[in-house]
Amino acid sequence: MSTSGGAAAGSVRFVSAPELDEPMLGADHPFKAVRLPLTRTLLEHAGLLDPTEIVAPERIDPRLLYRVHDADYVEAVKLAARGDPLDDAWTYGLGTADNPIVPRMDVAALRIVDATVTAAAVVARGEALRAASFAGGLHHAQRARASGFCLFNDLAVAIELLTSRYGLRVAYLDIDAHHGDGVQAAFEERGDVLTISLHESGRFLFPGTGFEDEIGRGAGLGTCVNVPVDPGTDDASYLEVFDLVVPSALAAFRPDVILLQAGADAHRFDPLAHLELSIAGLIAVYERVMALADRFSAGRLVVTGGGGYDPYRTVPRAWAHLWCEMAGRRLPETLPASWHAAWRGRIPTELPTTALEPEDAGPTDDARRARIASHNRAVAHRTLAALTPIWAGWRRSAHHDAPL
Amino acid sequence: MTSNVAAIGPDMPIRDVTTLMELRRFRHFPIVEDGSGGARVVGMVSDRDLRAVGSPHPSARPDVSVFDPVRLIMSTPVITAHPDDAIEDAARRLRRHRVGALPVIEDDRLVGIVSAVDLIEALAGQRAGHQPSSLLEVEVPNRPGGLLGVLGALARLDLNVASVNTTRSDADAVAFAIRLDTIDAAGVARALRDDGFTVLWPVTVDTAGVPT
Repeated sequence: MSTSGGAAAGSVRFVSAPELDEPMLGADHPFKAVRLPLTRTLLEHAGLLDPTEIVAPERIDPRLLYRVHDADYVEAVKLAARGDPLDDAWTYGLGTADNPIVPRMDVAALRIVDATVTAAAVVARGEALRAASFAGGLHHAQRARASGFCLFNDLAVAIELLTSRYGLRVAYLDIDAHHGDGVQAAFEERGDVLTISLHESGRFLFPGTGFEDEIGRGAGLGTCVNVPVDPGTDDASYLEVFDLVVPSALAAFRPDVILLQAGADAHRFDPLAHLELSIAGLIAVYERVMALADRFSAGRLVVTGGGGYDPYRTVPRAWAHLWCEMAGRRLPETLPASWHAAWRGRIPTELPTTALEPEDAGPTDDARRARIASHNRAVAHRTLAALTPIWAGWRRSAHHDAPL
Repeated sequence: MTSNVAAIGPDMPIRDVTTLMELRRFRHFPIVEDGSGGARVVGMVSDRDLRAVGSPHPSARPDVSVFDPVRLIMSTPVITAHPDDAIEDAARRLRRHRVGALPVIEDDRLVGIVSAVDLIEALAGQRAGHQPSSLLEVEVPNRPGGLLGVLGALARLDLNVASVNTTRSDADAVAFAIRLDTIDAAGVARALRDDGFTVLWPVTVDTAGVPT
């Protein structure tokens, strides 16, 4: 791989544009775009985001979108967004409780795809080592169906760019509380894309998939890794299964670039999921991802947002920490008062004042934690037991490459 | 149920039945006898029955060797199933008679065999639909219209039900696991609770007062 030659060590890019700050599915929808300006302004007020690091999304080659989505589905989204009556909206997952039909939602969804593909392109061209598209991360969108607040799968389109245009092997790592089903479905038969998803078990949480026996098919056998964890999983147990599975998967696959879907809904405040990570736990995950990128993909890392439904207290702080990890910076212990002042009266609740939460998170049930950790450990070992023999086969093969 | 069933005659030596079982990787064989009315299932033999032969196991008959006909060790009378039996009926019969498989018989004809593993697979398949879904578990009064009230509320929220299973049932209440085509099960739970329904999952954790 020669594309990293031009990237200065530590160079980072932040994809942003005013229209990405507008809600794709309406102002009352739980998928809140306000998370993006909250994150960006927190970084700006703290002096941690330089204007030269911000890039606007480029328009993508539309052919890339059609590699991921069926043409009739894309057409249905456009027609619905225009207000045309659509008999089969339901079969496309449109006009549902999760994905209501909203004017111009097609344009908004395409801009999100533009944003994530731009972040991927910036890294692939070697203009930066790491790039973030916090508007992206819509991992539930299926080939011909909207699902779970997602219309177009910006992650899958970015992976298509990285694989088909740049010939890169892509490791996709999904730390959203929900299984990354759309991305897995798009690539589970491909040998040049590894998908790893750690999530709350589908027994309890949407979308009901992502069990440890889903390990890829055909040429993609072994390139699909799932670690479903129990509701109530805390920092220690999450990090334990992360360390058990993720480094081995990356070592076996040997990616050229890592794409991180960094949904922030694994935090204990998230109202849509039941994992119990803290801000400190999320930071520990981010630190690990940086170290893994340095070790396995020459530092190359593309980051997106994703879920995160505690939009004021949790998401901006989590993603600001993630950006700092990418850029080698650090949030001040006390968050800037000017940030709070800038948002006063514009949002319905208080913003956090410190970079970390108080260490005392209240009473804990140690027996329950131990039991959850024990089960998560067993699940992670089942994931490894299914995949390790396949990975060993890759290592034995002559070119030291996964099947293509 | 497995339709491609291997049936053997009552006079086959036990040793040969064991070999056949290894070869076919089945754990149960129906024993079929040809009579005036056609082939009839007269017994069942399991891998456990075969292994007991010649062993000191208390249920083993000391006078039977592996060279004797299988008829001497087969189980009778045969507990059977019909192709139109409900899965839960077949499961109940397996439990009550403590057997591992039932020959499936239609009009005196052997058409298949159904094992405990087949039944588990069938029940597990009902767990999740083929489309993305969230789990909602509700408890309703065990009386007419109990579940209907929940389903009516879900329809008013414009939600599609992918599957429904009973998770628990007693004289007063029944709990149902309902899979819905939404990511926002928390919002659904809130709406149902506001309407007075008892929602068991998802639980809500109030974090409003927690220091940040």
